[in-house]
Amino acid sequence: MILPKLDYKKAKSLEEAIEYFEKSNGEAAYFAGGTDLIPRIKLRLRTPSLVIDLKGIEEMVGIKKTDEMYVIGANTTIFELKNSEIIRENLPTLYEACAQTSCEVLQMRGTIGGNILQDTRCLFYNKSLTWRRAKGFCYKMGGNVCHATGGKNVCYANYSSDLATALLSLGSKLVIVGKDGQRKCDFEEILTGKPEKPFNLRQGEIVKEIIIPGGKRQGAFEKIRIRGSIDYPLINGAFTMDSKGGKLVVGAIGSKPCVYSVETIEEERVKILSETVFNDLKPVNNTVVSPVYRKKMGKVIAIKLIEKTKKGA
Amino acid sequence: MRNRKISFTVNNEKVTLHVRPYETLLETLRERLLLTGAKEACGLGSCGACTVIVNRKPVRSCLILTLEVEDAIIETIEGLKKNGNLHPLQKAFMEKGAVQCGFCTPGMIMTAKSLLDRNSRPNRSEIIEAISSNLCRCTGYKKIIEAVEDVCSKE
Amino acid sequence: MEEELYVVGKRVPRTDSIYKVTGAAEYTADIKLPNMLIAKVLRSPYPHAKIVNIDISKAKRVPGVKAVITGKDGYGVKWGVFKYTQDHMMLPIDKVRYVGEDIAACAAIDEETAQEAIELIKVDYEPLEPVFDPEEAMKDGAPLIHEGYPRNINIHVHIEVGDVDKAFKEAHYVREDKFRAQGEAYAMLEPYACVAYYKNGYLDLWMPNAGPHVRAKALSNLLKIPLNRIRVRHVFIGGAFGGRSEVAPADFIVSLLSIKTERPVKLVMSREENAISSRQVHDVVARIKTGVKKDGTIVARDYEVIYDGGAYSSTGPIAASVPFYVYEECYRMANVRYHGYRVYTNKGIRGMYGCHGRAFLAGCEAQLDLIAKELGLDPIEIRLKNGLRAGEETATGSKIISCGLQETIEEATKKVDFKNKWKKATRLKGVGMGCVAIMCGFPMGFRSGSSCSVKFNDDGQATIITAIVDNGQGNESMAIQIASEVLGIPMEDINIINADTEATSLDPGAYSQAATFVGANAVKRACEDARRQIAEIAREKLSCEIKDIVIKERMVFSRKNPENKIPISWIVREAFLRGKPIIGVGSYFPNIDLKREWVSKPFGQMAGSFSYGTSVAELTVDENTGKIKVHKFIAAHDCGRPINPMAVEGQLEGGIMQAGIAAIMEGNIWHNGFLMNPDLLEYKIPTAKDMPDIETVLVTTMDPEGPFGAKEGGLTIRMSAYSAIASAFYNATGRLFKELPLTPDKVLELLQTEEG
Repeated sequence: MILPKLDYKKAKSLEEAIEYFEKSNGEAAYFAGGTDLIPRIKLRLRTPSLVIDLKGIEEMVGIKKTDEMYVIGANTTIFELKNSEIIRENLPTLYEACAQTSCEVLQMRGTIGGNILQDTRCLFYNKSLTWRRAKGFCYKMGGNVCHATGGKNVCYANYSSDLATALLSLGSKLVIVGKDGQRKCDFEEILTGKPEKPFNLRQGEIVKEIIIPGGKRQGAFEKIRIRGSIDYPLINGAFTMDSKGGKLVVGAIGSKPCVYSVETIEEERVKILSETVFNDLKPVNNTVVSPVYRKKMGKVIAIKLIEKTKKGA
Repeated sequence: MRNRKISFTVNNEKVTLHVRPYETLLETLRERLLLTGAKEACGLGSCGACTVIVNRKPVRSCLILTLEVEDAIIETIEGLKKNGNLHPLQKAFMEKGAVQCGFCTPGMIMTAKSLLDRNSRPNRSEIIEAISSNLCRCTGYKKIIEAVEDVCSKE
Repeated sequence: MEEELYVVGKRVPRTDSIYKVTGAAEYTADIKLPNMLIAKVLRSPYPHAKIVNIDISKAKRVPGVKAVITGKDGYGVKWGVFKYTQDHMMLPIDKVRYVGEDIAACAAIDEETAQEAIELIKVDYEPLEPVFDPEEAMKDGAPLIHEGYPRNINIHVHIEVGDVDKAFKEAHYVREDKFRAQGEAYAMLEPYACVAYYKNGYLDLWMPNAGPHVRAKALSNLLKIPLNRIRVRHVFIGGAFGGRSEVAPADFIVSLLSIKTERPVKLVMSREENAISSRQVHDVVARIKTGVKKDGTIVARDYEVIYDGGAYSSTGPIAASVPFYVYEECYRMANVRYHGYRVYTNKGIRGMYGCHGRAFLAGCEAQLDLIAKELGLDPIEIRLKNGLRAGEETATGSKIISCGLQETIEEATKKVDFKNKWKKATRLKGVGMGCVAIMCGFPMGFRSGSSCSVKFNDDGQATIITAIVDNGQGNESMAIQIASEVLGIPMEDINIINADTEATSLDPGAYSQAATFVGANAVKRACEDARRQIAEIAREKLSCEIKDIVIKERMVFSRKNPENKIPISWIVREAFLRGKPIIGVGSYFPNIDLKREWVSKPFGQMAGSFSYGTSVAELTVDENTGKIKVHKFIAAHDCGRPINPMAVEGQLEGGIMQAGIAAIMEGNIWHNGFLMNPDLLEYKIPTAKDMPDIETVLVTTMDPEGPFGAKEGGLTIRMSAYSAIASAFYNATGRLFKELPLTPDKVLELLQTEEG
C-alpha cells in the first residue's frame, strides 16, 4: 500500500518543529511513532503535505520522578514506560495500560504522546478511500451522515487510547508548546467530546510532556478486547486511588472517557457508581461487538477495577 | 516531489540511495534493494510480516518512512546467515517444523531475533509476549514457540 | 514383518523451509521481470447495479499508462467450475453484483501511475435493488441476481436415504435446532497477486494456486487461447486453505493486460482487496433435526443448510455438499435427508474453505451432546455407538477401507479425563469434543488421478516431476520424502519440479485433500518404477536375485551380501551407456465412482479413502465478561500413517487455531453489502497469546491404498475443532450456541437465556 505524496522533515528541536509547521500553511502533521498516523495517511484519512518527525527532539524523551510529580516526555515509547521501574513500582494503572496496548513491537514504536493524541476510530471510518467513497463519506469525513447510527451530522467514533484512560485516572496534566510559548493544562481539558475533532489543541501545538501527580498511586486498568494482542479496546477503564480518594475512568466508548470522582469504595457506593457508569455510556454499533455488550461492560469493569485496587492496596 | 538522498547500513553493507520522501522502508527494501524477504501482508502495521530490525529494535517496515532511517543499522532476514551458517533461529525454525507457508516467517524470525538480542534467555511467556506481535495463519504458533525455546536452551 | 523405513515417518525438516527462513522463497509479489508493468483494478461501489457506460478515455491519456481494459475487451465467456454453473464473466459487461467487483483495469509503468489512471475511469451505473440475506433472497419477489436461477438458488443438493419420516415417528427422542455462523476470511497472509507475461502467442503466469492445471484450463477457456499456450508456473504460495482453488478475476485481468501490452504485468492486491474481491467463506444457516433410539442409536436425520453464496457460483455444488459428506463419512446414517441450498446474494464470491460449514458441523456435534445427556449417555458413548468403522459403507455409498475414528476418540479424550470432567462439569467450565471424516480426494473426472516421472541424473541424484502443489502444508517435502524412501537416496539428493503445467501432468490439486493419497501415491509408483530399473542392472552386477536388492544411502547391494556395495551412480551411468537412462513413471487413479455427480447423482464412491479425527477442547466462560478462555485442546487425527509427523502435527495445530480458536473470534461482519472487517485488525486472526495448551495425537491405521499407508494429513481438525468448542460451551453453560463465532457479546446474551 503506497503513501500519497508528502514531504518529510525531521525536527531537532521543538522550535524547529513549530517553525516547519508554521511554514506549511497548516497542512503538516506531527509524526512521532507513526503507528496511528501512517495507517491513516495510507487510508487517505489524513492528507498532510508534510510530516514533521519529532523523534529527534531529545527533550521530549524520558521519565523523571520527583516527590511532587512524574514527568514523562511525549516521545517516550510505550515499551520504555512498560519497562520502567518507576512506572511499574508507582503507577500500576499506567503500567497495565501500557502492557495491554497493541503488541510489543508496536509498543516499541508508539509513543505516549502519539497514543493519547490518536484520532478516534470507527468500523465505518478506518477504511480505505475506495471503501469509504463507495459507502459514501460519513460526517467525520465531511459528509453529513453517521453510517453506524443513520443519524445526521453526528459522529460516534471511539477514542481508543488505553494510556489516556489510565492517565486521566491519574489526574495528569499536559505541557503543550506552540508558537506563542508553553502552556500547561489538565489532560481532560483538551478532550473536546466531539468524535469528529477530538482534541482541543491550537494549530501547530505540540504536547511536550505529560505530568502525573507524584507519590505511589494504587490502581488498576482493565481492557476488553477480542484478542490478547494487537487489539484496540472495545471498552477500557482505569481506577487510581490515594489518600484523597479515587478517580474512575471508563473509556473507548465515544470520544471522551467518562471520569468519576470516587470518595469511598464501600460496596454499596460502588454498586451505585457502576449503575451510573452504565447509564452514562452511549455506545453505538461501530465495533466488532454489540453496543449493549459494551455498555454492560462499563458496569463490570467499574466494579472489577475497584475490587482489584482494594486487593492490591 | 524530488527524491532525497539517504545512507544507511543494511546487513552490514552501506547503501546510499535516492528515495521518495513518502516511500516506506518496506518499499525501499523490496523495490530498490530487492530484499524481498520482508513481506507486505496488511500494509497497516497489524500483522508483522514486514518486520525488520532497525538499530536493534524490531519495526514494522510498512509504517516507517525510509528517510527516517538515515545512518541506521538495518538487519533483514537476508542478513541473518553469517559466513554460510544459518542463524540458530533459522535452524530451529526448520528443525522444529515452525515453517509452513512461510509468508510470516521472515517477520516472525526478526521479531524473535530482536527478543533474543535484548534477552538471551526469555521464558515461555516472554516468548509468547514477543511473538504475539506477529500473525501467523498456518502454524497455531506452537512450533514457533518451541523453536525459539530451543534456541534459548542451546545458547 | 513390516520392512524398516528410513525416511518415511521421520520428523525431517521440510525441504522448502530453507528458502523460507532465509527470505529466498519467491512469492508472486516478489517477482520482478524486465519491463514489467503494474496493474490496478477499478471496483464496483454498488452491491447491485446496471453498468450503463464506462469511459476510459481520460485514464488512457495518463502518461505511463500502457493499457486500460473493461469487460468489452474480454471474450464474453462466463466461467464456472461446472457446465451448469457458468455465471462469472470476470469483468462484467451487463451489471455488477457485489461491492468490490472488478469493473475495469489498467497497466502502467508504476503503481502510482496506475492508481492515478484508475481514479480517472468514469462509470455510469443504474443502481438495482440488492439482496444480502440468503433467506430473504430465496423468497418470491426478491431481486434476481442472475437470470435462470429462480429464487436465487444457485445450487440445490438433495440427498435422501432410507425412510426419514417413518424413522422420526419411531424415534424415542427428537430434537431440532437452528444454528448460524458468520463466514470466515481465509486470511492467508499472502494477499492475492498475479504476474502474467504474454509473448509470441504464449502466456506465462505466476499466482498462488492450489492446482495449476485447472487454473490454466480455465484461462484457456476465458481467453480463448489453446491450452498448450498457457503455462502456469511454480511459485511459493503464502497459504490457501481452500481459497486459491479456482481461477480468479485477477488472473483474467492481468492476462488480458499482458496480451494487450506484450509486457509482463503484475497485480498485487491490498489486504482489503484480497478480503473483498478474491474469495470469502460462506455464511451458513443450518436447521438440524435428529431422532434417536433410547440406546443412543441415531435413527433419523433431517438437515436443511443454507449457504450464502455471494454473487457467483464458484465451487458452488461442492460447497453446498461437503459439510454433509464429511459428516456422513463419519457416522452411520440409515435414514437421512439433506437439503443444501447455495443462494446468490449481492456480496463477495464465496469459495470452499478448509474449515467450511461450521454452523452445520458444530451444530450437529453440540446437539449430539445434548441428546446424549437427555439419554443418560456421554459424548464418547454416543459417538462410538454411531461412528462408522472400516468395512462399512456411508449413507451415500462410499466404502470405508480404513478407519481410526474410535482410536482418535479414545486417545483424545483419555488425555483430559473427559468422561469424568464432562459429567462433573462445574459451572462455566466444560469439555467438549467433535468428530469428522475427510475424503482423500473427490470425483473430478479425468483430473481425479495424478502421475509422476522421476529421472536419475548422472551423479546418482534424482529429479521428481509431479503436479503436486504446495500451498504451505509441505506437499513438496512430502513427495521428496516418499521418493527418498523408495529410491534409497537421501532427501537432499532429490530435486522436485512441480506445479508447473508445462513440465507436469494432471493432478487433482491441493484443494481436494488428495496430495498425499493420490499425488504422493503416483510419486511412489514412479520411484518404484525407477527402482526396478536400477535393480535390474544391479542384479547382473551383484549376481543376485532382484528381490534381494537393497538400495540404501546411495548404495546398492544384495541383502545376502551387504558388504558388496555398488554406488547408485555407477548403475545410473551404466543405464546411460546402455541407452536406457533411469526414468521412472507412475500414476495413481483412486477408486472413485466417476458417475457420481454433486447434484444429479450424489451416490457412489466419493474417494479412495477417508481420514478421521477428533478434537477435544477444555474451556471456561467468564460470566461477567462473556469471554471464553480455551485452556486445553487435543487434536487426534488418523492419517493412516504420517509421512512426516512434524508436518502433520503442524496441520493439526494450525487447524486448532483456524477453526477452534476462530470459533470464538473470527467472522466476517457485513453492513448492506459492505464488508466491515476486510483487514487484519478487525478480522481477528488469533495471536500467540490466544492459543491454548495444545496436544496432538497421530493415530496410525495403515491405509491399504495410501502411500506407505498414508491418508490426508490434517483436515479433520480444521473441520471439527469448532465442534469441540461448541460442545464444550454446551457442557460449561448448558446452552447450545446460536451463532458462531462465540464472541463475548453473544456469550453473555446466551447466558441470559434458559438452559437447554
